[in-house]
Amino acid sequence: MKPDAYDIKSKLGVVFQDVAVFEELTVYENIDYFCGLYIKDRKTRKQYIEEAIELVGLEEFRKFYPKQLSGGLLRRLNIACGIAHKPELIFLDEPTVAVDPQSRNNILEGIKKLRDRGATIIYTTHYMEEVEIICDRIIILDKGKILASGTSNQLKELAKIEEKVTVEINDLEEKEKDKIQKLSNVDQVTYNGNVLIVTYKKGQNNLSQLIDYLNNKSIKYNKIYSERPTLNDVFLELTGKELRD
Amino acid sequence: MFIHNFKYAFKTLFRNKMLIFWTFAFPIILGTFFNLAFSNIENSEKLKIIDIAIVNNEDFQNNEMFKEAFKNLSDEKNEDRLFNTQYVTEEKAKELLENNEITGYIILDEETPKVVVNTSGINETIFKYVTEEITQTAEIVKTMAQEEIAKEMMAGNYQIDYQKIYQNIQDRVQNQEANIKNVSNSNLSYTMIEFYTLIAMACLYGGILGMVAINQNLPNMSSNGKRVAVSPTVKGKLVLSSVLASYITQLIGLLLLFLYTIFVLKVDYGDNLPLIITLAMTGSLAGLTMGIAIGTLLKSNENVKTGILISITMLGCFLSGMMGITMKYIVDKNIPIINKINPASMITDGFYSLYYYDTLDRYFLNVGSLLIFAFIMISISYLSLRRQKYDSI
Repeated sequence: MKPDAYDIKSKLGVVFQDVAVFEELTVYENIDYFCGLYIKDRKTRKQYIEEAIELVGLEEFRKFYPKQLSGGLLRRLNIACGIAHKPELIFLDEPTVAVDPQSRNNILEGIKKLRDRGATIIYTTHYMEEVEIICDRIIILDKGKILASGTSNQLKELAKIEEKVTVEINDLEEKEKDKIQKLSNVDQVTYNGNVLIVTYKKGQNNLSQLIDYLNNKSIKYNKIYSERPTLNDVFLELTGKELRD
Repeated sequence: MFIHNFKYAFKTLFRNKMLIFWTFAFPIILGTFFNLAFSNIENSEKLKIIDIAIVNNEDFQNNEMFKEAFKNLSDEKNEDRLFNTQYVTEEKAKELLENNEITGYIILDEETPKVVVNTSGINETIFKYVTEEITQTAEIVKTMAQEEIAKEMMAGNYQIDYQKIYQNIQDRVQNQEANIKNVSNSNLSYTMIEFYTLIAMACLYGGILGMVAINQNLPNMSSNGKRVAVSPTVKGKLVLSSVLASYITQLIGLLLLFLYTIFVLKVDYGDNLPLIITLAMTGSLAGLTMGIAIGTLLKSNENVKTGILISITMLGCFLSGMMGITMKYIVDKNIPIINKINPASMITDGFYSLYYYDTLDRYFLNVGSLLIFAFIMISISYLSLRRQKYDSI
């Protein structure tokens, strides 16, 4: 896209990871300024601003300056500035980093509303639970390369994990852990802080098999449950578990 | 779009406390300190009339120049009266000096004056200095008269009117002194010199406004710049409206500075006020464009750029004589190119030229130099902005 591709630019909305607002302008003025770069008609602009303020839940903070806002409110203002002009394609770069649960919920609800309104949203995040909630199509990128893409279910299939069983055990000896590893269909066993996680690549009745084993060995456990792998598991499976910079 | 951006650029500049301090408050605070410091110096520098004595011997009676000079300098009707002179005998002069009734006395031995003082101090120094000046002037008159007489004799004219020749030369020398006096008597006091440098500094501090305004439009400099870069707006319009808002903000700052110095500090800019304001406006433009150039050329963050700009401004003002006018002369004498490219020097030089020269040639030379400086800065900024392309922001 060339710098003077104004027809394309007018349909784009970008919400940067860094909060990009003027410290010297109020909430309303900030949204008005950035919206004004797209919408010339004052009446339309006013309407759009009101809608954006409502979308992110900043009705009570119109006259507040950014430094008077909490981190979550600031993030919401950042979003409002990027989407007030009703773009057709919206880029959201980690908009929920370091925000409180209420603000996160508000932001995610707002994004769903934008999607329902017809906008295409490209959402960048490390929070896989957010991806599961709001994304229709997912791309996993690592070091600039696409590792996988598809729907949530398609990606889970790619990870080759069928089942994950989590057990709370107070004391588990290392030799018992090794024996569990050798049970049929078991892919991986980890034991950290009284939590035993056993992943299975395939098969059925894995949970009952494990319960039987634990009962036979008289190993006491507090809680045991089975679940489908999450996107977080898929992400770790695809990108590796080693720490990154 | 232009008006929309102008309105908000104006608002952001006016609500930025750091900018308001450096461009509005700091020059006013500094001006107040200058006023307190230098007005006291000037008051203390107003000379008291010094009591002296001259030994009224035959040599003094025969020395017309000395008689005339001390008569003028002791004349009660003379506003610049320097001495209260008593014409006494040598014994009486010694007695007066011993009793501390006089600062010193002069005794002429043929044409050589001997200054007698008891201690060293400002009055004694002035007394000695003035006496030496008169002696030197007498020497000049004597030398010039001898040359004139020699010329006349070489031309074959032996009927020379010595009295007339001496009188003519004396008149010429006195007229020259009068000219020098007229120039130096132009009320360009320490305080005024400091205020002009202060105005120059305020003009250049406007660069911070230009720099901040331009940074808001640069994607690699601010988060807001990234947002602006992805919007469907013409970069030139945004930059121009931001620069205009900065310039007007700066002019408001200058207006406040002028009003404060005129009405609160009682600074008298004389009849040249319109020219002074015109020069200040041109200087502001130069300062603003310098800020924009630094903003576009340097890739460091805004605080570093502000620091660099303030340092350049302070250095420029220092070299143009803010901490003492002598510095300006030293630079002019040794590295004249520095003051030719130093906008602070161009501004102060323009101000001084209104006092030192009868014509406005030098004034307009400085105005022109500042406009050229501004043009170069804006050209550099334009080329730098055009060159910038962002693969990733």
